[in-house]
Amino acid sequence: MNETNDEGRATPPPSRLFRKYLYSFVALAFAALAVNTTLDVWFSYREQKQLLAAIQREQASSAAIQIGQFISQIESQLRWMSRLPPDLSAREDIRLNAIRLLRLSPAIAEIAQLDSRGREQVRVSRRVADRIGSNEDLSASPAFGAARASGVYYGPVYFFGETEPFMTLAVSGIGNEPDVVVAEVNLRFIWDLVARIKVGNTGKAHVVDRKGQLIAHPDLWPALRQTDLTADPDVKSALAGIAPPAGGLVKEDLSRQQVLSTYATVAPLGWLVFVELPLSEAYAPIYASIGRSAFLLVVLLGFAVLAALLLSRRMIVPIRMLTQGARRIGSGDLEQRLAIKTNDELEALGDQFNRMAAHLRESYATLERKVTERTAELEKARDQALAEHSAAERARRAAVHANETKSRFLAVVSHELRTPLNGVVGVLQLLDDGSLSETQRRSLATAATSGETLIALVDAILEYARLEASTEALEQRDFRLYQLVEAAAELMRPQAQAKGLAFNLSCDAGVDAYVHGDPVRLNRVLLNLIGNAVKFTPKGTIDLTASVVPHDGALLLRFTVADTGIGIAPDMHERIFEDFVQADDSIARRFGGTGLGLAIARRLTRLMGGELTVESAPGSGSTFHLAVPLEPAQHGAAARVARDPSRSFRVLLVDDDPVNCEIGEAMLRRLGHRPTVARNGSSAVALAASEPFDIILMDLHMPDMDGVAAATEIRKLNLQPAPRIIALTADVSKGARERLAGAGINKILGKPLLLNTLRDAIDSDRDEASVTARPAAGALIDQNYLRDQTELLGAAQIAKLHGLLERTGETLIGEITKATEAGDRGRLARSMHQLGSAASALGLVRLSERCSELELSVTSVPAAECQAAASEVATLLEASLRALGRLLQPS
Amino acid sequence: MLGASERVRIVASLVGLPLSDTLTRRAPEIANSRTSALIQGMYERGWVEGVNIRYEIRSSFGGPENRATAVKELLELNPDVILTSSTVETAAMMAATKTIPIIFATANDPVGNGFVESLTRPGGNVTGFTSSTPEMGGKWLELLREAAPQIERVGVLFNPKSTPRAGRFYLDSIQSEAAATGVTATPVPITEPSAIDEAIRAYAGAPAAGMIALVDPFLVINRLAIVDAAAKYRVPMIYPFHYFIDAGGLMSYGASLEIRSADYIDLILRGTKAGDLPVQSPRKYELLINRKVAETLGLKLPASLLARADEIRE
Repeated sequence: MNETNDEGRATPPPSRLFRKYLYSFVALAFAALAVNTTLDVWFSYREQKQLLAAIQREQASSAAIQIGQFISQIESQLRWMSRLPPDLSAREDIRLNAIRLLRLSPAIAEIAQLDSRGREQVRVSRRVADRIGSNEDLSASPAFGAARASGVYYGPVYFFGETEPFMTLAVSGIGNEPDVVVAEVNLRFIWDLVARIKVGNTGKAHVVDRKGQLIAHPDLWPALRQTDLTADPDVKSALAGIAPPAGGLVKEDLSRQQVLSTYATVAPLGWLVFVELPLSEAYAPIYASIGRSAFLLVVLLGFAVLAALLLSRRMIVPIRMLTQGARRIGSGDLEQRLAIKTNDELEALGDQFNRMAAHLRESYATLERKVTERTAELEKARDQALAEHSAAERARRAAVHANETKSRFLAVVSHELRTPLNGVVGVLQLLDDGSLSETQRRSLATAATSGETLIALVDAILEYARLEASTEALEQRDFRLYQLVEAAAELMRPQAQAKGLAFNLSCDAGVDAYVHGDPVRLNRVLLNLIGNAVKFTPKGTIDLTASVVPHDGALLLRFTVADTGIGIAPDMHERIFEDFVQADDSIARRFGGTGLGLAIARRLTRLMGGELTVESAPGSGSTFHLAVPLEPAQHGAAARVARDPSRSFRVLLVDDDPVNCEIGEAMLRRLGHRPTVARNGSSAVALAASEPFDIILMDLHMPDMDGVAAATEIRKLNLQPAPRIIALTADVSKGARERLAGAGINKILGKPLLLNTLRDAIDSDRDEASVTARPAAGALIDQNYLRDQTELLGAAQIAKLHGLLERTGETLIGEITKATEAGDRGRLARSMHQLGSAASALGLVRLSERCSELELSVTSVPAAECQAAASEVATLLEASLRALGRLLQPS
Repeated sequence: MLGASERVRIVASLVGLPLSDTLTRRAPEIANSRTSALIQGMYERGWVEGVNIRYEIRSSFGGPENRATAVKELLELNPDVILTSSTVETAAMMAATKTIPIIFATANDPVGNGFVESLTRPGGNVTGFTSSTPEMGGKWLELLREAAPQIERVGVLFNPKSTPRAGRFYLDSIQSEAAATGVTATPVPITEPSAIDEAIRAYAGAPAAGMIALVDPFLVINRLAIVDAAAKYRVPMIYPFHYFIDAGGLMSYGASLEIRSADYIDLILRGTKAGDLPVQSPRKYELLINRKVAETLGLKLPASLLARADEIRE
């Protein structure tokens, strides 16, 4: 259904109801009139028909009587003649009387008088000569016999001269010997009678004799033709003596015309008189009456239609007004008033509509007013909210902008500060060329220490800036928690003891576990907290407690630092975690510091998913609570080794550097393998030939035979089973890798060696090269690496290695100096490599990197630069060893 | 009852009498004009001359040539119905047309003449009216003898050319009655008007004689001469038609001339076939007597005759 149709249905054409009313009225009027007229016509038709039939019967009876009279008149004349006394009736007199009778009755064609014996006395005729006294014996004639027997005889109709209907009428006289008078009657004279019978305007009467022969008809000639009507059913039934039907018969007459017919019997003769009226005439009045009724019906119907039209219009106009009014109200035009003055229910309905519209109008007005008010209020509120919102947004943007500016400022400033500071520290280190006095040396050391402190400060700021900018990412790995906590405590213990403070560490058993997390960051937080405690506690105790509890399928480290220091006012409890804020301005003056420590600590804690809080009151010390979630270690190195002792390999470690050899050997033992050390390539090949090894760890840079050559040699031995050869190198370039692949070395371990990577490389059968975990660059010493090595080898071993490095370093510097002086670039490069390799074993990253760079460049630079490089390396070695010494010193 | 647009019908009439004869002539003042009577009868049935009907009358008088001419003229008019006055005209007309309905006004023996198949159902295109039956001859003689009982001989006057069966139609009954009453009956055939006087004169004087005029157009045409001769020679004479009495004759007896033709013309014009209409016989017979003539002849009329007479003229 489309829209137009729906509309069409919604607003029906207004004439529909009108038509309905009109048709109903007309139908009602028509039905009433039609029924009335039909009944009227029907009854009148029946009455008229019966009346007509009655009239016709009367006419037939009358005609029958007339015809009967015609015959009986002749009969009475004959009777008169037959009863004349005999003395008066001489034959001549008889003839005269007969002649007189002929004159009197034209229908009598012939009269004969017979005596009582049947002899003819006189015969008088119109056509033939009269006969008198012929005495002819006619006693045998039926007329005589019947007349004598019953007094009168009506003979049958016979036709004379073919066309003339005649009958014989005989009458007997009275007395003992009565004469009999016989007359031949020409029935054509009945014609006059029949023709005179009026039946309507065009109706006719005719006479039929006892045998069904037509004897009289107004048209004359049908009778003359001896018409036989015995076949006619009406004639048949009439002859059988059946009375005509009351309503008359409808039949065809002789001229094939539809007629209304009835009949009557002529009493003495048994003849039938038929009276016939053409239907067209008989029913003409009925038809006229029907016509009149029909005309009247049409006229009345016309009036009815007119009346219905007026009535329907009168009814429909107010309804239409109502419809239109309702439609207008429906479409919102509430001002419309319906003016219906019919003084009936419709007017009442119209008034109701008006009232409804008025109510609607009022409600509408109220509603509109309210809506206006509400809208105004809403607009006001919205404007206010928008203004507030934009102000807030402006403030927020300003704040964000300010913060960004601050961070950027910090980052830029820090970076810009760091570069010259590095220079300053570097130069300070170079200043001590051995010719300084003790005083100068101490001043220089103080300057260097101050420079390093400055660099640390700048680093802290830089770190904070990174944290602020959310660019810091955690570096997660497995580590031993207790070792970390203990190391931090032990690191700070000398300072605390130096201030005369009691310093206690108590750990739960759960703390002694391998966990997965960011040990560097955690260490920094711990050091910061402990350092603060030491810094702000002039006397008393510092208590450290650590515990690990299961938490959400992981572990939660709780670390508490409680001191008896100056304490913090409650309003400062949160502020101290903000950047550049200290509990008191005077604190900065008294204790120094950047004011960034706690801010960084809290941010790092949060970065690790933990929480850092404080409980404190001024003068009564502070307690910092650290809670950090940690995951259980994915690979517990010690646990792994202990768990899997069967996998113990024979490992040949080939390295020319004694420090590296020491560390490698220690790592291998720690991992449960059986190491054998070869200090150069040829001895490695010899050892491999004489002893079976599962794995050969091959340093690539060796003086006599480098790793690749040695590996090639070993491969040539075709050892069964063939040992896996793992290369140890800092060079993991593509070219080096291809060269190694050619020598049958598929696995490369970066230097310095890390326990985990070493374990993975040995345990794994994979041939891919492990990516070397690069130690942190930039700093003199990779403290993480150093800590790992310390953890792995033990502090005593590290101290031993420290001594070994000092000696090796001295030797190598000597070598370098000599090679420089001799201009032996190859020896210089080798020595550089050896120094770098040895330095990397203890995490002296800056020295190691510098050596690697110089190893590559010394072969192609001028001699002066080689000189500078040599002295730079010597200075760097000294600074690194000093820093290492500081780190390894317990105090 | 007749539409004005209906075409004018033509009724043709062929008469044996000359057109100048009063019987034929159309004149309202002439009471016994047969033509006037017909027109009147038609008028009563709705046929108005000049409006819806036209009458064309021709005479066959004057010999066969005239007759043929008259027949031809009438047929050329293409009439709706033809009326013929007597046997000769009927025969002539029947010979000329088998389709146009013909009604004969008088015919003594239409079956014998071959005009119709039977009286009840004539068939063909012809019907009409008979005048007198053959027995009428005896009746004429009886009535003549009643008026003049003294007569011993009777002359029967006729023209054998125009009388049915050359006179024999009536002669048998006349002679039979004459024999029964002792009277000598003699046929007096004449063919020329000039012979009338001579023929009648033969019955003047003794022995007393009378004459009977038969049904014969010739006699009707020459009725004046016959009546005059009968009066001149004092011969009592009986005639078959009242025309003779009108002309001064003694007595006449015959079928009364009812207006019957109009009936049949009307029926035929309305569509009835002539052959379906029965030939009608006469119903009434009229006896007319002129008492003056009787007195002139010295006749004393008996009561029986007067009683029978339909009209007695003084």
